[in-house]
Amino acid sequence: MTFNALQAYQEIWEALLDEEFQEALRRASTISQVRVEELLAERGELVELCREVAGIKRRSIDILEELVERAYRSLEAVRAKPYLAGDAEEARRIIGGLVGSGKLVVIAKSMAAAEVGLRGYLESLGNEVWETDLGELLVQLEGSKPMHTTTPAVHMTRYKAIKLISEKLGVKLEGDSVEEAVKAVREFLRGKIARADVGISGANALAADTGAVVLVENESNIRLVTSTPPIHIALVPVDKIVPTLLDAVKVAMVQAAYTGLYPPTYISIIAGPSSTADIERVRVYGAQGPRELHVVLLDNGRLKALKDPILKEQHRCIRCGRCQYECPVWVHTANKWGGPAYGGPMGLVWTAITVDPVEAGKLSYLCLGCGRCDASCPVEIPLSTILRHLKSIASRSS
Amino acid sequence: MLNPLDVVKVIEDNMRRYGFPFPVPREAVYSWAKPLRLPDRGSTMLYTGALYQLTPYIASIVEQLSAIEGSRVSGLALKLSGILSSLGVSRLIVRPKGDMASVVERILASIASLLERAEVKAAYPYEDDMYSGVLLYDLGLDELFKEHAVKVYRALKSRGAELLVTVDPHTTHIMRSVYPRYVDGYDLEVKSYLEVLAERGVRLVREPSGDKVVIHDPCLYARFENVVEQPRMLLRMAGFDVMEPRRSRKMTYCCGGPIEGLTPRMAKMIAKTRLEELREKSRTIVTLCPICYVNLRAVAEGDVEVIDIALVLSGAKP
Repeated sequence: MTFNALQAYQEIWEALLDEEFQEALRRASTISQVRVEELLAERGELVELCREVAGIKRRSIDILEELVERAYRSLEAVRAKPYLAGDAEEARRIIGGLVGSGKLVVIAKSMAAAEVGLRGYLESLGNEVWETDLGELLVQLEGSKPMHTTTPAVHMTRYKAIKLISEKLGVKLEGDSVEEAVKAVREFLRGKIARADVGISGANALAADTGAVVLVENESNIRLVTSTPPIHIALVPVDKIVPTLLDAVKVAMVQAAYTGLYPPTYISIIAGPSSTADIERVRVYGAQGPRELHVVLLDNGRLKALKDPILKEQHRCIRCGRCQYECPVWVHTANKWGGPAYGGPMGLVWTAITVDPVEAGKLSYLCLGCGRCDASCPVEIPLSTILRHLKSIASRSS
Repeated sequence: MLNPLDVVKVIEDNMRRYGFPFPVPREAVYSWAKPLRLPDRGSTMLYTGALYQLTPYIASIVEQLSAIEGSRVSGLALKLSGILSSLGVSRLIVRPKGDMASVVERILASIASLLERAEVKAAYPYEDDMYSGVLLYDLGLDELFKEHAVKVYRALKSRGAELLVTVDPHTTHIMRSVYPRYVDGYDLEVKSYLEVLAERGVRLVREPSGDKVVIHDPCLYARFENVVEQPRMLLRMAGFDVMEPRRSRKMTYCCGGPIEGLTPRMAKMIAKTRLEELREKSRTIVTLCPICYVNLRAVAEGDVEVIDIALVLSGAKP
């Protein structure tokens, strides 16, 4: 995937002039900041847990290549089928090969899927593909990209969202009731999920010791997508691998807390395909859940980034999107300040790692260097330092 | 919108030619100190790094960039590399904005007088009060920054400096936390004048006036240099009731200043958000940084007053 920083600057300019866009972001960021602030003030144990997770991620980066190998073996041990995709194209090819064509595919929320351009690719193979996270679905209907890591449709007002749902899904919605809109989407997606051939998810973390994929959510779409269709494919960036299952659950808990939704409604642990041995102890795969679990480990520049002592710090990121909501620039641009998938402080760095450091560096000039992202990151990533590093890469290139 | 790469190039070009991000007369940096007759050599050195003195020029440039940013040329500016240079931005001899130059002179003179009241005998390097190069560092122009930093360091050493007393957060941060990583053998101790005043227990004590002021922490002091309690303590000693905005101390909110030259429109939007938050607590907003001062002042309307802390502490205002 490629992108052009100047094109992004043009879109940023348009966003600055778009009052609805600005209003939606202002509202969402204020609510989110206050909610997380209150949550952390109430629950001191979460702050402790952050420190612990920062340590887990630090240690994981130091042995990441080894963790990838361990995870690979553990996945095989639980009868999941592991793959290692070197880049986005390879990831698309592997998943495209597994899905084939003429299938109905449902996707649980996954930024990695956006990173490799998965939905568009699967559609180009002749599949019907639906996002099942409400925010992601709205982004799909709009034909745009996720505007925040955990809240992809953050830039939309309720009016915009309801209009999209009515027009694109052919559902009759009258008035401005969010409840009615959610109900309509639930009915629509339930139909798709029940008939889907393949469910695709990302992962919040992957445990190297057990091959367990850990996912955290509130909508329950992830549970349905990963358990209803006969085939589940998980696309997991390698930086999400941590040594143990307990580590992985801790990562998911911190991620949930920093989105301001705590306790998380659901945490799923998926270690292998569903199975039963209830008849004569004969193990049969494909009980009520999927009979096949494929886990695609995605490198896409991450292992190379380990060699850059500044860039590699980014591998601690747990994708909570806190730095986005806290950034004075992002609250006016959302992920328009970013690459094809990711945006904002952490997103520019992921864009540098997975797409192009020079173009990401050119966009980094908008970073104020104010350090609010550093101060709010639960795993203490020195984001403003990394963004300055990207500016220097861009300056050197010109 | 402007093409940030062009703006960066203009700044780089000016730094090489003038030693400043844009052309300003050299005397503009040190003329404020002439009447004070401070010694020009000494181990304790008041070093401004020229940031305060540049702000009237910055304000003037930002006004001109705003006009370009909002015009039809801006679409072109994004597409055509070099258009800013061809518009003459790189060669603008900018004039300081309105009354700001005199405000800056009063601020710097107040700082010198506060240090004197704290019995700090500081020298001043006059012609060698060079720009610190902070913008080069911020924009990732590392090689040029390093070259410039070595020059600044040598000039200050040649005047006998051992302890630098700085006057703004950007210069404090760059001299204390960044120079040591770029200049071999760097051995200058660096303190903000607010730290020095707090340490020395400057005699400011006045009767509590009951006047409420709201403090706007600059990002670099609060998050990178741990200058948080000192300004509060000094303001309280000077008799003020110090109010805290919703986002303060380590979680303070930026004034938007660092991107004012790249996208004045967004810088202004950020400043407005911050100003609204500050004015909820008091109509008198105290700033500790010249960039914050310019940006918040640019969006302040009605009865809101933005004042530099040096003027407040020296009793000049409010």
